[in-house]
Amino acid sequence: MDRRLFLQSTAAASVLGVAHPVFAADAVKVAVMIPQSGPAGLFGPSAKACAELAAETINARGGLLGQKIELLFGDAGLAPAEASQAALKLWKGSGAAAVIGMHDSAVRGALVGLFKGQVPYFYTPVYEGGECAKGTYVNGETPQQQLQPVIPWIAAERKPKKWYLIGNDYIWGRNTNAAAKGYIEKTGAQVVGDEYLPFTVDNFDASLARIRDSGADAVLVSLVGGASVGFNKAFASFGLADKALRLGTLIEENTLAGIGLANAKNLYSSAGYFANIATPAAQAFAAAYGKRFGPQAPALNGLAESTYEGFLMLEAVARKAGALSVAKMDAACEGASYSGPRGAVTMKARHVEQDVYVADVADKGFRVVKTFSHVSSGQTCKA
Amino acid sequence: MDGGTLLHALNLVYELSTLALTTLGLAVVFGLLGVMNMAHGEFVMIGAYSVVAVQQWGLPTLAAFPLAIAVCAALGWVVERWLIRPLYRRPFDTLLATWALAMLMRKVVEAIWGKGFRNVDDALTVAVPIGNTSYPAYRLGLIALTIVLLAALVFWYRRSSAGLRVRAMTGNPMLAQALGIDTQRLASRTFIVGVVLAGAAGVMLAPLIRIEPGIGVDYLLDAFFVLVVGGLGTLGGLAGGVGVIGGSQALVSSLFGQTSGYAVVLVISILFLWLKPDGIFARR
Amino acid sequence: MASSLAAESRAASSRDPRPRGRSLWPAATLAAALIALPFAGNDFIAYQVALFLIYGIATQGVALCWGRLGFLPLGHSLFFGLGAYIAGGAAKAGAAQPLWWLAFPLALLLPALLAWVVARLIFARSMRSGPYFSLITLAMTMLGFLAAQQWSSITGGFNGMGNIPEPPGLERYSTLYWLVAAAAVASTATLGVLVGRPLGVLWRAIAQNEERMQLFGYATDHVKANAYAFSALLAAGAGALFATHQGIVTPQAMSFVLATEFVIWAAVGGKASPLGALLGAVVVGYASAELRDHFAMWEVFVGLLFIAVVRFLPDGIAGLAGLAGFGGKPARRNANVAITPLPAPPSSAPKQVPALVFDDVRSTQGGVRILDGLSFRLAGPGIRAVIGPNGAGKTSAFNVLTGRLPVTGGHIQVGGRDVTGWTAWRVARLGVGRKMQVPSVFADLSVRENLSVALWAGRLHGRAALRRAPQAWCTPLLEEMLGCFPELAASLDVPASRLSQGHRQALEFVMTVLPEPHLLLLDEPCAGLSPAETQRMIQVIVRAVRRLGAGALLIEHDLAAVAALDGEVYVLHQGRMLAQGSLQDLQADPAVRAVYAGARK
Repeated sequence: MDRRLFLQSTAAASVLGVAHPVFAADAVKVAVMIPQSGPAGLFGPSAKACAELAAETINARGGLLGQKIELLFGDAGLAPAEASQAALKLWKGSGAAAVIGMHDSAVRGALVGLFKGQVPYFYTPVYEGGECAKGTYVNGETPQQQLQPVIPWIAAERKPKKWYLIGNDYIWGRNTNAAAKGYIEKTGAQVVGDEYLPFTVDNFDASLARIRDSGADAVLVSLVGGASVGFNKAFASFGLADKALRLGTLIEENTLAGIGLANAKNLYSSAGYFANIATPAAQAFAAAYGKRFGPQAPALNGLAESTYEGFLMLEAVARKAGALSVAKMDAACEGASYSGPRGAVTMKARHVEQDVYVADVADKGFRVVKTFSHVSSGQTCKA
Repeated sequence: MDGGTLLHALNLVYELSTLALTTLGLAVVFGLLGVMNMAHGEFVMIGAYSVVAVQQWGLPTLAAFPLAIAVCAALGWVVERWLIRPLYRRPFDTLLATWALAMLMRKVVEAIWGKGFRNVDDALTVAVPIGNTSYPAYRLGLIALTIVLLAALVFWYRRSSAGLRVRAMTGNPMLAQALGIDTQRLASRTFIVGVVLAGAAGVMLAPLIRIEPGIGVDYLLDAFFVLVVGGLGTLGGLAGGVGVIGGSQALVSSLFGQTSGYAVVLVISILFLWLKPDGIFARR
Repeated sequence: MASSLAAESRAASSRDPRPRGRSLWPAATLAAALIALPFAGNDFIAYQVALFLIYGIATQGVALCWGRLGFLPLGHSLFFGLGAYIAGGAAKAGAAQPLWWLAFPLALLLPALLAWVVARLIFARSMRSGPYFSLITLAMTMLGFLAAQQWSSITGGFNGMGNIPEPPGLERYSTLYWLVAAAAVASTATLGVLVGRPLGVLWRAIAQNEERMQLFGYATDHVKANAYAFSALLAAGAGALFATHQGIVTPQAMSFVLATEFVIWAAVGGKASPLGALLGAVVVGYASAELRDHFAMWEVFVGLLFIAVVRFLPDGIAGLAGLAGFGGKPARRNANVAITPLPAPPSSAPKQVPALVFDDVRSTQGGVRILDGLSFRLAGPGIRAVIGPNGAGKTSAFNVLTGRLPVTGGHIQVGGRDVTGWTAWRVARLGVGRKMQVPSVFADLSVRENLSVALWAGRLHGRAALRRAPQAWCTPLLEEMLGCFPELAASLDVPASRLSQGHRQALEFVMTVLPEPHLLLLDEPCAGLSPAETQRMIQVIVRAVRRLGAGALLIEHDLAAVAALDGEVYVLHQGRMLAQGSLQDLQADPAVRAVYAGARK
């Protein structure tokens, strides 16, 4: 079969929502790229569970544009080139008509380069901002969203004078810290340190010594997964938790479990979702999740839940556009909205305006202490 | 000494201790027996996973020690008998066979626990005040234990009759056999001691590191570099290697970052492998 | 005269009746399979297979070094990754400014150059660098990986270098496959052909007995380094294809994980066979990529397979399937096919007996004084016998001359040049030939190939190693020697390992004289021979030495043989020269009698 025919039939299939002749006639395949290995591997099981719950929920109310959603999972925890190959297999090999991605920015960059705007791609987790590629729709929190209202609030509550910024050495860590600098300086505090570590670093002793030496009383933690766990544990074991508060924009339930409640004193997390938010929508979602997956379910957390939000966004935009084609969806996405566990979410400039919650850690886990409504993403992508 | 400097000094001692701890097993296997055990790091990894297993099964954490010892000893016996012994005088083939073994061990662990990383709870998260600063109690314990282990090993090698037999065997295997020393059993037992030491190191390090199937290679390479630079078969070699490799890594890391530190270690090791593969304190 | 010889050999090779193209069968079979693939499957499957063909070319590079030359590069992904990054950079720049595409060949040449430099430096130090060389290549790959991650301005760091365009005129998911397939076929064909040429024989000889090669004057470290550079070229070429095929290059392309996979694929597929190595990558790699997600135990299975291969199946599946005829060990030449002999070019060894001077030479090892002030002079043709009790230092005297034993004091001169501490091949090129105490031949090569390797020493220069003609070379000396040892002439296609001790001694002696050295070091050439064989061997030695006009030192225990030589005799004792003179004089010397008991045989 020659390539042009292959591509034509796939394109036709995705436009009409009719799958490739070899597969079942009634289903629309959605590829879900989640990390099943590597530093972010601990989010895999919960993300998968949320994706499955999302597909079942949407299918129960009629499916995506009338078709049943069929999920295809790919490992986005591999290095970008390998994750790209996995995505390619789901797209060209298995005929996926849309992609939901919950993974790091490096993989996102590779996938954007792979898809080249030919398939709708929903990117769901916390990230650094700036993604405006054609056919890409972003649900995730941006640094502006997570920090712009939160840093002034912490400044008022705890009055830190010296901030130390530490992050993983890649675009999310660097952008988050760069955005934070501006907000910190506006509160009148001083940034006394700014450092970046590779993903694989295990030993934070040197960094902790520097933090101690700098006399910082607040630390912005822009580390990912295992690094975040290791750093925060070591931070507490050196007795620093009493000397400085910590604020993280990617500290969710799994990371907290790894850190341990005893090591999480004076730790704040700013995110769009926590498992124990008290709103009716969030509680209904948590109940449905618990019912579906039982007491041994992988712990619900912000990153996994973002996968669920991604599906809701896909449903909303597809409904508004009337089709699963990038051209139509790009034109229709502005203003598409839905109401989900996070509250009301509206797409603006291919990012979302959403509520932001700040939590500290009490004896049962996260405890939401402040909510900011309808926070803008601060992004300015043109359609 | 002010708090900051004391903290830096303690950190340095800690890093050198962990390096010595993880190299110890390979110093026995490679240094004494001359076996290039490329699966050394995987035995450390298995030790760490023993703690994961023990915590998963709800047993007390200390049970990880006997578990790791048992698993490593059994595996070590099998490996020595069927993989190492047939290839004794062929370092190349031993390298390859143990490389294959390392891969197999990694894949088995991946199949059981997945590729993602684990953390284990540590009991002693308290910080003990020392001088003008405070230091995690667990790390102090680890440093102390490493020193004790090193001393015990040196004592055993120098003073005990088993150590004497091992020295005879490594110095002149033919003569040792002629004198009635069962070199095969002795070699097997020495190999087992080496891999058990590696496993024990893994158990002790487990609460402090991120536990993944792939961590073995880093420990292996560090251990090899320490032995190549320091020289095989002598305590001076182990100490010298730990000092040079650990010290330069710590120094460069604190000045230029961790990546530069590791790069410097690689460069030093390449130079030694090329120009002076017998190391600083070679046996002869 | 040289040009007419060349013209003759060119004409002769065109009449060569040996079967041609036998070494091209594997490549042809591969080509057929690759042409059929997109039609049997579909374009996407072809795209996926192409990725593993690319890996397979790099795997062939590993297999070349490991299977042919006997050293294992554990870090070949360094060159793969370098090729990928350089090609990616050139392609990206080329999209804006087409002239940049001219920089594309650098993606192959720069890594090859790096490999060549590194290998020359390492192999020149010692012959026994095997496992340490592997570790060095591994450490270099890790350095490369670190650099790729850190220098994000050039490499894109962890995110990688993305948006690499396809080569102009080719499309990633369809026509690019043909470029990859062509490269795989070309690589397999080239390797298959090379293996059958003199260079291929030299490679195998080096793998089996590098010291012997050095004693012939072959600069084995140069040969190994050139082969390593060529294998790096293959890996870098594969990397360049990878960059355009995938469109993104990340540090994983330079990681030790990938380097390990190359080794595993080469081992499982068959490291002695170019096609085997390629198929190892395609079958095992592709199967892994597909099955890895479905069966958790798949990777465990591959691990077990690798161990089994390392332990029991050194030639991998290719060896098992008897694919030796397809690009593996070259098939035993059909003995019935007549080979038209060609006159060999003259040897470049010096034509006169180089004067040999030992000046107070000392050598101490581990506290033992092996040589303790050995001094003598030797000039002019003729055989001198060297005798002395065991441990006197006779073989050690030869060893210090050929670089096997380090010299801790004194000097050695050959032909007026100070050769103290020189590597064996440099000394050999001064016209020194050595026959070892335990016959040192190439065990897995046939007798014919053994003789060819010896004959080519000093005669095979540059591109001649790539032509067929040298395999038909012959010299009058060779014919004469084969006449003296008819049992060798009768077993030309037998592997040398299957020869009896006596035949092996004969073979090694013939090999020693073929390069026409003018200073011969013969270490107990009659060891293990019956009295009749001993007599014949002595006669042949005398004949060959006279014919070459060479000087010779002959270590011998059999005094009847020494008497038959009727020449000067040196007596060594405790690392020193005790006495020299004719045998009668020595037998009367009380000092010699005192130390040398049991003189009668």
